[in-house]
Amino acid sequence: MVRIMGAMIALLMTALPVQAGNSLIAPGAKILVAKSTLAVTPASEWNKLGARPGRNSESWTLDGDGLNEITFYGGIPDGRTLFREVDKRNRPLPKVSGTMLITDIPALLESSYRIALNTPLMSIESVEPARFAGAAGVRFTYSYTRPDSEVRRLGEARAAMIGGLLYMTTYEAPALYYFARDLTAFRQIADSAAL
Amino acid sequence: MRRPAALSGIAFALIAAAPLPPYTPAYEPTGVDERGMWMQADEAERQMRDSPFVLRDPALNAYVRGILCRTVGQDRCQSTRLYIQRLPIFNATMYPNGMMTVWSGLLLRVRNEAELGAVLGHEFGHFEQRHSLEGFKRARGLGDLLTWTALLSPTLYSSMATSAIGGFYSFSRGQETEADLLGLAYLAQSPYPAASAAPVWERLMAEADATAAGRKRKVKAHRYSAGFFASHPTELTRATYLRDAAAKANDPGYPAAAAYRAALAPFIGDFLTDQIKLNDFGGTDYLLGQLAADGWTPDLLYARAELYRQRGNPRDLVSAAQFYQQAIDGGFAGAEAQRGLGLSLLRSQQLDAGKEALRRYLDATPAAPDAAMIGALVGQ
Repeated sequence: MVRIMGAMIALLMTALPVQAGNSLIAPGAKILVAKSTLAVTPASEWNKLGARPGRNSESWTLDGDGLNEITFYGGIPDGRTLFREVDKRNRPLPKVSGTMLITDIPALLESSYRIALNTPLMSIESVEPARFAGAAGVRFTYSYTRPDSEVRRLGEARAAMIGGLLYMTTYEAPALYYFARDLTAFRQIADSAAL
Repeated sequence: MRRPAALSGIAFALIAAAPLPPYTPAYEPTGVDERGMWMQADEAERQMRDSPFVLRDPALNAYVRGILCRTVGQDRCQSTRLYIQRLPIFNATMYPNGMMTVWSGLLLRVRNEAELGAVLGHEFGHFEQRHSLEGFKRARGLGDLLTWTALLSPTLYSSMATSAIGGFYSFSRGQETEADLLGLAYLAQSPYPAASAAPVWERLMAEADATAAGRKRKVKAHRYSAGFFASHPTELTRATYLRDAAAKANDPGYPAAAAYRAALAPFIGDFLTDQIKLNDFGGTDYLLGQLAADGWTPDLLYARAELYRQRGNPRDLVSAAQFYQQAIDGGFAGAEAQRGLGLSLLRSQQLDAGKEALRRYLDATPAAPDAAMIGALVGQ
């Protein structure tokens, strides 16, 4: 019996680190994100999620990723998807291309979301030129609804192709209340991005 | 008594030729299982009613409902509520309480009213035969059987579990076949020809082949025998027995292709856009070719141009620019064709011609949501 309890405790302990992977991001300090040379300096406290959307990306949240989520994409190379495949055989995600125009970046995000989240309710709302991480890039807004929650979410993103690599940061939150509440904090972080 | 798991070839012919089963309007569920299923289906319908994925256009809803009613008959169709969902996948579903969902991917893929009627009749067949109740009871019976066997005789369990589970899936395939043939019986008694059912499955097979080829996967030979865990018969099996049954029914009818195209025309552009963004070059190009069987319209040319520009190989960009130009020459109404043409040319290093097209886009839609971005590309 004792042995069984011991085994169960060992099992629980091995399961814990996944949860414990979340960590606090202190305000005011420059920090490298998405396992890359992309650096940001947040003015307020955020929580970094232990689970990454893909190899070169990382997500932050305040109240949980369903309520507010910033994602950093740190230099996705040619031939790679934005984030991890959900069903590579039947629903493969589109890939980054080194020859993409800046206007192709919002379309890539739109298509990736439509496939990964299984929703046709994803649309780009506006696209305008903007600097990101010291390079000429794009700022765009979008909205989407997942079929499993049916909550309409809004998003804003900044992105640029730098040296053939895609650098991007996105902010998403429910259209009701949350998006507007933390938009300024996101914009401050996006403005602080540098390579 | 339960129906046999799989129907024999003789039974196929009997069902196809037999008169429709007697129909009870305003049926109320009986027994604890059926009442429970209806309660869950009613809850699902309450959510469906408010879903942002439902297309609510009254004309489209009335048109699709009209096809269902002409297929299964006015008295039967009154017991269903129909919801058209914006989901770019070939599918329709039927709930035990009479809620039917029709997905936009299905509307995009059928070519006439009769083909849509064939699929909707199949779904209605599940409802009329109360298949979900039988499937639920069968699944529970299987669970009970395996649990008790595992408890009482683990050795027997290991030998019988496989065949019992296999029997369940085979039962599900039997239900699908039954619904297929009942759907065909509806078609045979409707203004539509029964021969319309088989081509739907034949084109689905061809599209799946094109998708596989486009993704550089091996194109698998289509087989008659379904896999052990398959819930449906293979497309080849369905196409074959539906074609045989239709030949026996030998009913004349009018498939109403022109009316279908006209009714769907306001929506096809959106449905195509949803399809193109699925990153399925081969399947989508095949589908566009099928839709263009009577000639490439400007809408279809624009969709094809978008598809090629999205894949974005150098040769694709050349093709895309040609398709955009043909769409524009053919009278494509939207300025977005100039946008696509300009962006394709820019990526093909034809800077002057590309900027010229983008300027035409901006002149036509100065308030476009991406006007600032396109303006920056052309240096305005």
